[in-house]
Amino acid sequence: MAILEVEHLSKKFGANKVLQDISFTVSKGQVVSIIGPSGSGKSTLLRCINQLETADGGSIRVCGMDMLQMIGGKAVYSKKKTLREIRLKIGLVFQNFNLFPHMSVMQNIIEAPVRVLKKSKTEAVSDAGELLKKMGLSGKELSYPCELSGGQQQRVSIARALALKPEILFFDEPTSALDPELTGEILKVIKELAEEKMTMVIVTHEMEFAREVSNHVIFMDGGHIIEEGDPEKLFGDTQNDRTKRFLSRYKNNF
Amino acid sequence: MNTDDILNVSKILLEYLPNTLKLFALTLVFSIPLGVIVAGLKRCRFKPVSWLTNLYILIMRGTPLMLQIVAVYYAIPMIVKGAKDSAAASGTELSGFMQSLDSFMRSDNYMIIMLVIAFAFNYAAYFAEIFRGGIESIPVGQYEAASMLGLTRRQTFFRIIMPQVIKRVIPATSNEVIVLVKDTSLATVIAYAEIMLKAKQMMNTYSSIIPLFIAGAFYFVMNAIVTVAFAMLEKHYNYYH
Repeated sequence: MAILEVEHLSKKFGANKVLQDISFTVSKGQVVSIIGPSGSGKSTLLRCINQLETADGGSIRVCGMDMLQMIGGKAVYSKKKTLREIRLKIGLVFQNFNLFPHMSVMQNIIEAPVRVLKKSKTEAVSDAGELLKKMGLSGKELSYPCELSGGQQQRVSIARALALKPEILFFDEPTSALDPELTGEILKVIKELAEEKMTMVIVTHEMEFAREVSNHVIFMDGGHIIEEGDPEKLFGDTQNDRTKRFLSRYKNNF
Repeated sequence: MNTDDILNVSKILLEYLPNTLKLFALTLVFSIPLGVIVAGLKRCRFKPVSWLTNLYILIMRGTPLMLQIVAVYYAIPMIVKGAKDSAAASGTELSGFMQSLDSFMRSDNYMIIMLVIAFAFNYAAYFAEIFRGGIESIPVGQYEAASMLGLTRRQTFFRIIMPQVIKRVIPATSNEVIVLVKDTSLATVIAYAEIMLKAKQMMNTYSSIIPLFIAGAFYFVMNAIVTVAFAMLEKHYNYYH
């Protein structure tokens, strides 16, 4: 079953075509990595799907609901109510965590379940406790984000996104703001989620990780999808020159 | 002046302290919410509203508060006088509205009401700029995270943005409140019976500058209290950064 269907998506910033004719599908339980050089449009693609940017053309369907479709040659967004419904099916983990600094870890996680899903506070707190346990953060309920390490903050933000029980979880370079020794703990959490068959789309610069955790890889450059497919094939034996060049540059750097 | 005189002057000034405090407190009560509204209007996406708000802030900050107090205080008497003159010239009666304005401007509370209007609108302009700066200093990621969690715009503002803005605007607001304590003395311009007016009167009575210093000590103590209060407030918000 397709959770996410993107077709012919395009986006311009002024004259700069950031996304051009992007099409891909994510089915339930799939883990898709999006790789590519800086400025290739990976993050913008994620932001368009997450309604943080408006696309100029193409169509997006989430869990069978139309978010954006082409009507008479124009890209038309669905009604507010539908967009809101779609938004609740989608979770996003930001590069900079974007936790609410004035709220404790617990408050950060239960805010949306209580205010948006109208769960009872007791239920939300017990669910959040489970999530924190899973994230290895039991005992940090009353801490404030500023008291936590970057890795811990990112795990809280993953728990916060999971608290809404999304159908699909997006990660926008989840380890880029972290010290190298802290990236491991985040990658481990994502791996565990993958084992639980959580549907995920991960924009990342961690090539080894992408190869290991995902079952589909998309390589983007210059606003286009250059190549996509099985990670072993794409990383191990790509026939595409641009992909080859990009991957070898990465290998040389490490 | 001997010790008895100093005590006597202090006692008299203390009697007028409530009038100073009344103007101070009422100004704060009205100007802070008004400042929040003005900050919101300035950020309004409908351009004419934001332009008008800019004009309002420009006038309030660009002209002396003393002038504004005088203008607000004498506006109604001038209007009523004009109406009376033209009524007399045409031999007609004063309209009901003008009559009620006439009795309003003679009522006991007229002076403090006009003072609070002048002060509140003036201070709201300053507070609005402080609050706007606070709102705009919140990283856009906070809005994005809130929107990804499905919070409404209202919830985002009141639950996520506002609490963080309050922490950030405390230092600038405390500055403004300290200035307000001292600015209440501008009310002497329309002879509002507060500390400064009395101090000046007693300067003449005693032919001494000491009553002024005593008044100065009153303002100093008030501001010491304001400073401590804001320091405590700042400390209260120190649990995160």
